[in-house]
Amino acid sequence: MQTITQMVAGAALAAGLAGAAAAETVAVITPYLAQPGTQFYVDGFEARAAELGWDVNVIDTAGDVGAVISRIEDVTTQGVDAIVLNADPAQVGAGLQTAADAGIPVVGMDAGSHPLVAANVTSNGYAMAAETAVYVANRIGGEGGVVMFVFDPFPPVQVRGVIADAVFANHPDIEVIDRITPDVSDGGIADSRAQMEAVLAANPDPGAIAAVWAAWDQPALGALQAIEAAGRGDEGIVITGIDANPQARDAIAQGGSFEASVAQDFAGIGAAAADTVARLLAGEELRQKVIYVPTELVTAANAGAE
Amino acid sequence: MSGIVRRFGSLIGMAAIVLFFAVSLPDTFLTARNWLNISQQISMLTVVAATMTVVMVMGDFDLSVGAMASLAGVIAAALFVAGWPVPVALASAVAVGLLGGIFNGVLVSVVGILPFVATLATLTVFSGLAFVVSDGRTVFGRDIPEGFAALARGGLPLGSADGRPLVLPNLTLIAAAVVAAVWVVLEQTSYGRRLAAIGGNAEAARLAGLPVTWLRLSAFAFTGAGAAVAGLMYASRVASANPTQGDGLMLTAIAAVFLGMTLTRGGQPRVLATLAGVVVLGVLDNGLTQMRVDSYVREVLVGAIILLAVGASALGRRSWRRQG
Repeated sequence: MQTITQMVAGAALAAGLAGAAAAETVAVITPYLAQPGTQFYVDGFEARAAELGWDVNVIDTAGDVGAVISRIEDVTTQGVDAIVLNADPAQVGAGLQTAADAGIPVVGMDAGSHPLVAANVTSNGYAMAAETAVYVANRIGGEGGVVMFVFDPFPPVQVRGVIADAVFANHPDIEVIDRITPDVSDGGIADSRAQMEAVLAANPDPGAIAAVWAAWDQPALGALQAIEAAGRGDEGIVITGIDANPQARDAIAQGGSFEASVAQDFAGIGAAAADTVARLLAGEELRQKVIYVPTELVTAANAGAE
Repeated sequence: MSGIVRRFGSLIGMAAIVLFFAVSLPDTFLTARNWLNISQQISMLTVVAATMTVVMVMGDFDLSVGAMASLAGVIAAALFVAGWPVPVALASAVAVGLLGGIFNGVLVSVVGILPFVATLATLTVFSGLAFVVSDGRTVFGRDIPEGFAALARGGLPLGSADGRPLVLPNLTLIAAAVVAAVWVVLEQTSYGRRLAAIGGNAEAARLAGLPVTWLRLSAFAFTGAGAAVAGLMYASRVASANPTQGDGLMLTAIAAVFLGMTLTRGGQPRVLATLAGVVVLGVLDNGLTQMRVDSYVREVLVGAIILLAVGASALGRRSWRRQG
């Protein structure tokens, strides 16, 4: 048993101490590494960190948020130079306190804001909503009926709805026919489709509905299905979503009613998180606690790009 | 000499792991602060594994503990949202755990369903209930009372080191109390010895006049209540509750009990041995993280070490018997 333990320990040593000793060490801690989006953040971060010559340790807790606290404590004990967090800071406050007590800065990578997070790097939900709402207003020439799909109980989505409300209210000839909060327990597509079918039935005249603005992609996809199933796909109803998930990109690339969505730059968020860490390590005091990475409007012209 | 290795092989292996980390991480591993950290990190697992030991002494086990931990967390959170005082909400959540455990006990002991099947079914039921109660959402932020979240952050001040205070965490104290209680029940009462007798031979225990049905039923109350307590500790630590957060505790707790069983003379579950198993798992997570071993490699190593310990112990016991 003893010799075996030594063998295991030797392997661990080889795996663990391969990096240079003098470089800055930064720990990236996430419960969500297995999710595709997270991988893009981490890849972007690691690429930038490699340019900066850092020693990066990526730690995944396989969905366990409590273990994120434990791992923050461990890397604090280990004495890393900075921690990058990709988890809800409100749930790991105990760990953030430990890092703060030891004077180790924590940067959020699309994590959420928290007093103990030096800065959170993320996409600007207000700006994303403005992109698609303005796209809709311009596309329909500033007049016509618009159906909105919103979800106010979830703050990151609620801010999107606020902006779209303002853009549509600023056009006197745009009328918001309905402001729908779909049931999202099944993912959001099916209920959005059902709700949209009801709206279509209530507004049977061609042209009565000029556009559908959705605060994220699933309701846009549901609305698209409803419009096509009702045989009104040729009416020119403009649909927009937000997030540009693969299913939405496909629909947009086909050139049908679903015309636009907005893509977050996940790798860019990772790289910007590394730049933020670099500023903190250089001793800079950050004024902005939230750092936004630009997003990109996705239309039929560029939907196939990724 | 070989007899000593066989008898204490696992213990030597565990000591070697600690020694290895102590040598590899000379400045940080064997510090009071790190061990207080570890004690807090393993506190929830300790509670689940200690109470799991109570049913494993009888040769049974309970797969529903992780789901119950999640359920207890979301029930407490739902009661907080409904405006219940913190102590009442916590007591209610533990009561649900106790009832869930007794329900498991009835299924296993009175109805006679195999523990694997019965507790697998209740795992699904409890997990489903957790989603029903929480509506699938995570409860956090202002809905979680300050006092409840502060519980996991506080502790007994022990002094200070490097200009920072050292505290014995409340979660560690709770875990220690649960281990002490289970130790007293299993090792110091006739109730505990009767459970062990069932584990030795249930039929013989029945023929000897032990109330086997009642004993098995009641033992499951421990795992249910323990799971609920652990779930509340977890919810306090993350200052939030979601319907799956405790699920990971179940397999690790069973692994810890098995790891502990490699330490005892006859290979029976004993609560202090279980605690040693939990500590080893916690030390591995802590030490390998500090040594910056990749998360996935860490999982492979932890699994391999469990297999090594249990395998070595099984081989040792077989050759022991052969020499007999």
